[in-house]
Amino acid sequence: MTQDKSRADTGRAARESAAERAAIAVRPGEFQHSASGKREKVFEMNGVEVLYSGVSAVQGISMEIHRNDVTALIGPSGCGKSTLLRSLNRMNDLIPTAEVRGEVLYHGEDLYGPGVDPVQVRKLIGMVFQKPNPFPKSIYDNVAFGPRILGEKDGLDEKVENALRGAALWDEVKDRLDDNAFGLSGGQQQRLCIARCIAVQPDTILMDEPCSALDPISTGKIEDLMIELKSEFSIVIVTHNMQQAARVSDRTAFLMVELDADEGNRWGRLVEYDETEKIFTNPADQRTEDYVSGKVG
Amino acid sequence: MVEQTRVHYQEELEQLEASGLGGLDLVSDALMRTMEAVGNQDVELAQLVIADDDRIDGRYLEVHQSLIALLARQSPVATDLRLISALLHVLKSIERMGDQCVNICKMIPLTGNEPPADEQMVTLILNMGKQTRTLISQSKRAFEERKVEMARDLVRQDDVVDDLNRECFRLALEIGDDADSREWAMTMLLAARAIERIGDNAVDIGEQVAFVVTGLFREFEDASHPEQ
Repeated sequence: MTQDKSRADTGRAARESAAERAAIAVRPGEFQHSASGKREKVFEMNGVEVLYSGVSAVQGISMEIHRNDVTALIGPSGCGKSTLLRSLNRMNDLIPTAEVRGEVLYHGEDLYGPGVDPVQVRKLIGMVFQKPNPFPKSIYDNVAFGPRILGEKDGLDEKVENALRGAALWDEVKDRLDDNAFGLSGGQQQRLCIARCIAVQPDTILMDEPCSALDPISTGKIEDLMIELKSEFSIVIVTHNMQQAARVSDRTAFLMVELDADEGNRWGRLVEYDETEKIFTNPADQRTEDYVSGKVG
Repeated sequence: MVEQTRVHYQEELEQLEASGLGGLDLVSDALMRTMEAVGNQDVELAQLVIADDDRIDGRYLEVHQSLIALLARQSPVATDLRLISALLHVLKSIERMGDQCVNICKMIPLTGNEPPADEQMVTLILNMGKQTRTLISQSKRAFEERKVEMARDLVRQDDVVDDLNRECFRLALEIGDDADSREWAMTMLLAARAIERIGDNAVDIGEQVAFVVTGLFREFEDASHPEQ
């Protein structure tokens, strides 16, 4: 898919697709904090709205996501946080009725611009899902899958080892790389999925409730891993577990459901976005306070 | 339709706040009896105050333990977290105030049965006690009602106590050459100092009120940089 069928915003001038391709093909480590001390932006969303079959699921989202941060999206069910997350690597393109309006800039370039290759986007912006979803293959083949597809066959063993080390799984699986991945525990499978994601050297990792199916020990390992990984990658995580957001994230965005009583429609809106410490000790908005302290349901 | 949740947790926190701040009533009573013991040179009443300090310490331990348990079980955040942090500070202040009453009461037997008391100095100390009890009740009300201005006003009230304390010092300097009188005056200065510290503890509680409300901790007055 090279053309953006789902995009409704047609007002913007088309840009040089070659320039966009060049800009989108960033490598980890190419971006540094600017000299002014301002945080480098990985994503910049301006008035983002995502609709399914013409019905808004989340709207009015304007926020920046910084490089080497863990950014948490929290909010009640139906507030659109997963939808928003999926709009950051064009995962919604896979849903025919989905439509993204507004502007999503990735390192300053329009993520939904003409000529941007969604496959390349998803290589640079990887995703880890709620339920560990290894392929029915060996541990090795799971991690080697991405590089093979991309034709990166040289030094494959090293790539697999580096990815497994990066995901803190190497020591546990190095002697059984040929075993089926389904033989791993849930927590190991999830770390394998993270290894599979980082094997293609992404710039950003999106995580959609990556620990909700895991026990506390496995959860702790994934959380430790996130903190280690953020030195190299930028991470955006959707979580229902507010303590998890408090433990691992640098910045937290709180979304909530807004209800149109007349029409009966409901959609998600960004209520507050700030340093995680601020959100959990002294939030500015009473609705954030009520949600993070669990006083309203 | 917004539904309230975590009702039991909320009730527990409210009860702990009430119980913790109730410690200020115990301290106020202890100070009142301490002043009575000072005014009447009542050694027995002083002993009672010392014995009753166990109640204040007990309240401290009980509420402190419950707050720690609440932290562990409920993972409070935002205003609740600030409230619990503030209550832990307030409890410590209350416990210190109780100890200051004990310190004063321990001095009473030291001055003998019929000490060469200076009427003017005793009156000053009793006034300090009265003024400090006002501070204690005001600090409690400011906390309960989350009123930052009322809490800030404690500084002004505390200045009155500080002035009385300085006046005591001046009187002690002029007490004369009699050794017994000087010893008495020295002991009374220590008592005045203890009351003055109770006033400072009340101001500390006021600072915690401001923290709960605003989320920022600032000393109302910086003792090490008083001119700022």
